[in-house]
Amino acid sequence: MEGSDSLDQSGSDQPESQRRRQLDRLDREEAFYQFVNNLSDEDYRLMRDNNLLGTPGEVTEDELFNRLQQIKDGPEQQNNTPSAETGEDPVVQPESSEDPASGDSLLDWLNTVRRTGNTTRTGHRGNQSWRAVSQTNPNSGDFRFSLEISVNRNLAEQQAAAEGEQESPEESPEGQEVGANVEPQVPMETEVVEEPVVEELAVIVEPEPELEEVVSQEILGEPPSSPAAPPVQPPLSPSPRRGQRRARSRSPEPRRTRARTARSRSPLSLDQLDGLANLRQAHSSQGPNTATSAPPVPQVEGSSRTRQHVLSRQSTADSDVQPPRAVAELVPEAQNVESQEGEAAGGEGGGEGGAAGRRPPTIMLDLQVRRVRPGEYRQRDSIASRTRSRSQNSNNTFLYESERGGFRRTFSRSERAGVRTYVSTIRIPIRRISDAGLGEATSMALQSMIRQIMTGFGELGYLMDSDSDSSDSNRGANTPSDLGEALNNPDATPAAAPAADVDEPPVAAGVRARTVETDTVEGLATVPPASGGRARPRPPISLEEPSSLPFLRLAHFFLLNDDDEDQPQGLTKEQIDNLSMRNFGESDALKTCSVCITEYAEGNKLRKLPCSHEYHVHCIDRWLSENSTCPICRRAVLVSANRESVV
Amino acid sequence: MQRASRLKRELQMLSTEPPPGITCWQTEERIDDLRAQIVGGSGTPYEGGLFSLEIKVPERYPFEPPKIRFLTPIYHPNIDNSGRICHDALKLPPKGAWKPSLNISTVLSSIHLLMAEPNPDDPLMADISSEFKYNKQLFMEKARKWTQEHAVQKNTGVMEGNKENTPDQKASSRKREALSAQQEAEEPAKKT
Repeated sequence: MEGSDSLDQSGSDQPESQRRRQLDRLDREEAFYQFVNNLSDEDYRLMRDNNLLGTPGEVTEDELFNRLQQIKDGPEQQNNTPSAETGEDPVVQPESSEDPASGDSLLDWLNTVRRTGNTTRTGHRGNQSWRAVSQTNPNSGDFRFSLEISVNRNLAEQQAAAEGEQESPEESPEGQEVGANVEPQVPMETEVVEEPVVEELAVIVEPEPELEEVVSQEILGEPPSSPAAPPVQPPLSPSPRRGQRRARSRSPEPRRTRARTARSRSPLSLDQLDGLANLRQAHSSQGPNTATSAPPVPQVEGSSRTRQHVLSRQSTADSDVQPPRAVAELVPEAQNVESQEGEAAGGEGGGEGGAAGRRPPTIMLDLQVRRVRPGEYRQRDSIASRTRSRSQNSNNTFLYESERGGFRRTFSRSERAGVRTYVSTIRIPIRRISDAGLGEATSMALQSMIRQIMTGFGELGYLMDSDSDSSDSNRGANTPSDLGEALNNPDATPAAAPAADVDEPPVAAGVRARTVETDTVEGLATVPPASGGRARPRPPISLEEPSSLPFLRLAHFFLLNDDDEDQPQGLTKEQIDNLSMRNFGESDALKTCSVCITEYAEGNKLRKLPCSHEYHVHCIDRWLSENSTCPICRRAVLVSANRESVV
Repeated sequence: MQRASRLKRELQMLSTEPPPGITCWQTEERIDDLRAQIVGGSGTPYEGGLFSLEIKVPERYPFEPPKIRFLTPIYHPNIDNSGRICHDALKLPPKGAWKPSLNISTVLSSIHLLMAEPNPDDPLMADISSEFKYNKQLFMEKARKWTQEHAVQKNTGVMEGNKENTPDQKASSRKREALSAQQEAEEPAKKT
């Protein structure tokens, strides 16, 4: 009842403006229909497939026209941009790259990316070099985005050790290398392969393992835990092969790094680190990191490692948060974060003291966005189940599933051969997103996405807690709060809150960063310092010791799909396009579209379903994208694909 | 917003040729918040009552069903204490049977029908439903009593204008909740 109350009030408050708005809307709707009617089949399809039509009345005809133009021109523009920009400061890039994405919604972003086709960007800043690759599978509409960040942990250390030397030019080579690394990306299909997915947005974020670490370990003479091969990937990660490949390609760099490290290595005291932390930060922000001598104290490494993790996570978060500019921003933000983290790291380092960690300077994120078509939930499941089964098979795996707020999450973690893999799968009812569509609710949809993501991380943390021993107790506490924060101010998120969560998982051993973060975030400083010492390269079996893992993989799947239960299951574009279409002629008997209850006008495009019922194309297409039955007779539109669709 | 143009047409139709026993109108200027009244069918325990309903039209209408609930307390196996209606036309497939070719008028009609013929096999209120099935006499009595108490008395007020009647509805719905709670409390006693 309260609801009605408020409604009434608001209603009376602005009847005028509302009426005007409605009138405008009606005008726009008319224009919309006209616009659609005048579109060629191709254009119509183009716009529909890219969700540019929105809903009638939502945007003006001009806007529609602009969109059409944009998308037509889009591909070319995009192609130009993609060129790799090596050596540029990432910070700068983000801005430039932002332009393409004007919308806010995830869908917008996805569409943009999709249109963009395959692009690669590289750059580096400070001690980090990054490379972003986006790939679109035109056929399936799958989109994959991967981001590699390599962090020269050395710099931090180095900087710490010798600040004056920052200037040394490490960047260029690194940047280049990174660029060189561009690997032939395995099409998302790898992941999706088995499933005949038709168009989907699947987001998979996987930080990739970094060889560097491994290398370093060996060099260092540290007990290598089944290092090089990232076998772990297979279990959880969608495209295992890819990871390996990458690792390989990467090797050159790592090695180099390694050598450097070794060279620079000297005992560094924790105290120093702390003091330096700030400096480091500054340096990193400046950009030039040097290969200068760095006293690679285990602690230092640990901290750096932590940082990296943070980065990876963070970037993920960012991407989610700001889908539209994801590509560009991801990188920069991550870096920023990193720099920020630097501080934290410094602090951590102090706390951790004993922690010994040599961490991979490279972070790989793979983001896959896939829209799971309504009928395909089985396939979706297969992803999850595959993940699950794999993880179960391996010795050290954890699986955590939950269903909350209509989202289904699966989180699993596995560890093997020194590689730890996290896979988080989140199913998001597509309608939550599409509801927002291009319009008003966008922010809501985004928020739910973000929340989703954050929650996912939270669970990650949760998992960690559950399995990791002692040190984690505080973690649990942190996570929720962090999440909360993150949710509250998604924009702000990057740095503080999420970061905390982020690092935690990797750090399971209780070594480090976590502590710091804790402090930062909440002041919950339960420091797990002691444990740090034990972080040693240990074979896969010891889950508790993160430090032992040379590789860390995070895989995040965002499966945007219709809910299995309530949500209807629709047809694919292809299926819809296969239905016959015609123009309305005056002689036709049935004159009204029963979806919009509007009479057909000369020249209207109608689509005829197998049951002979006809509708406006744009009306029925929208319905069929989520449902598979005729709005009048409820007969299944696709006989073969009947599944449970018939009600 | 297909919704706007469609609703415009629907409202026109509702005012020009309303389904029997049903009236529906816009609240204020809001296009997404409608009110309706259904006259209790003769021969049903709701006879003589006038039941108010709230209709929220979702953004995605007609691709999503309207959200309809009773404002007037009603004793019915498929309508719960807060007025929510268990009716397949109000849900999306595959669970439900909503389809864009339905409209507010048809949905209201089917609710009208549901009032006359409850569906105890898909109950929202389990106890009312079993009562309906196994002790129809009692069910009828109670339903009539509720109708008398909630749907009949404010008959006139409702007719006069929805504005005045809003608070009334609120009160009655509160009453309904209280009443149902009380009734729930009584229920076990009766059974034993």
